[in-house]
This record gives sequence, C-alpha cells and structure tokens, in this order.
Amino acid sequence: MVPESSELVRLPPSVALHARPAGAFVRAAASFAASIEVRANGRQANGKSILEILGLGADGGSELTISASGDDAAAAVADLAELVATFS
Amino acid sequence: MGSTNGHALVGLVIVSHSASIADGVAELVAQVAGPDVAIITAGGGPDGTLGTDGGRVREALLAADTGAGAVVLVDLGSAVLSVRAALAELEGEATSRLALADAPLVEGAISAGVTASTGAPLAEVAAAAEEARGARKL
Repeated sequence: MVPESSELVRLPPSVALHARPAGAFVRAAASFAASIEVRANGRQANGKSILEILGLGADGGSELTISASGDDAAAAVADLAELVATFS
Repeated sequence: MGSTNGHALVGLVIVSHSASIADGVAELVAQVAGPDVAIITAGGGPDGTLGTDGGRVREALLAADTGAGAVVLVDLGSAVLSVRAALAELEGEATSRLALADAPLVEGAISAGVTASTGAPLAEVAAAAEEARGARKL
C-alpha cells in the first residue's frame, strides 16, 4: 500500500498563500517524491504547481488541508504543515 | 545568482515589446521564485521605443544561461521572430541550451521560475512554462 498522510493547518491571519509564501510552499513541496494536494475554499490544487496554488485564493487565516501520497508522504505533510503555520 | 548548492539553475529570459512589462514580470517572478534564478529582460525596441531589439535579445539569451540553459518567454508575435533571429545567430552549443516556450508571458514565467528554483532541468522548466497554457484563471 502507498503511504498516505493528511493534515489540516491554518494560515497565519496576516499571510495569504500568494506570491512569496506560495513560491516557498511549492519549492518545499517539490523536494518530496510524494504527490501533494492542497485543498482550501472548496478548491483543490497540486501542491507542486505554483499556478494551481495561487489559484486557491487562500487568504490569511484560511484552513488548508495538505495531503500526500507516496513513500515520504508523512515527512512531506509534517514539513509543509509546519512551513504554513510559521509563515510570517 | 544562478546556482543552488553549487549547481547551476536554469535561467529565464523575458522578451516584451515594453520594457515596463518585461521589468514588471521579472520583479513578480523574482518575488515568487526567490533570488537564485537568473531572470534577464529584453524589453522594448532600440531607443526606448515599443518593440523588440534583436541585439539586446541576443545578449539576454547569453546572460541567462549560466550552464543549465535558459527558457525564453515572449509576449506577442514579432518577439518570437526576434528570438528566432537571435537564436539563428548563436552557435550550436549555446542554442541547444535555450528553449523558446509557447506559453503566456506572466503565468508561464512564474511557473517556469518556481520550477527552475527547485533545480529542475531545462526540459522540465520549459514544460512548466507551457503547462501555464492550460491554467484556468477562474
């Protein structure tokens, strides 16, 4: 079975998932082999696609569900959730 | 510029009829993709007119390739001709590391820039630019 992992995380109130934070998220996601999906506002995006992540329109304070599938899924979700929670 | 952990990153060339557009796209891409990707602009025609300048395009192509190649993004019609003419003037080895992307300028540059910042090879960065063709805005 392919390892899967998922976590719900909230963006800091003052940080939208735009421009610089979105780029940082995608760069971090690209360092994992697992496929990564992000859901927010009823939309879903490939975590490794900057245009899809920008298209989520996730404003500060919104909830993101980060899911991963693959051998390093648990590490990917843990790292990305921490990254999102510590954006400033 | 142009490297992470010592190995060269694919660079970007932004060719626009307007220097302001080229500079603005470069500024936006740098903010999203970070400071490590070389983004070289060739905006506007000779003497600050709207248009493209073959000589500046050629210089930009050479400057953006720091070893891993460069992806070229253009705005409209004759910018493609300027890039093709500049590529024809360059020698074979240089042109094999230059990829002209069939992609929208802003979205393509952001997609390519972020992909380049991860250390991805030329073909992957060019593909990221062209994936922007299918990206929905709404």
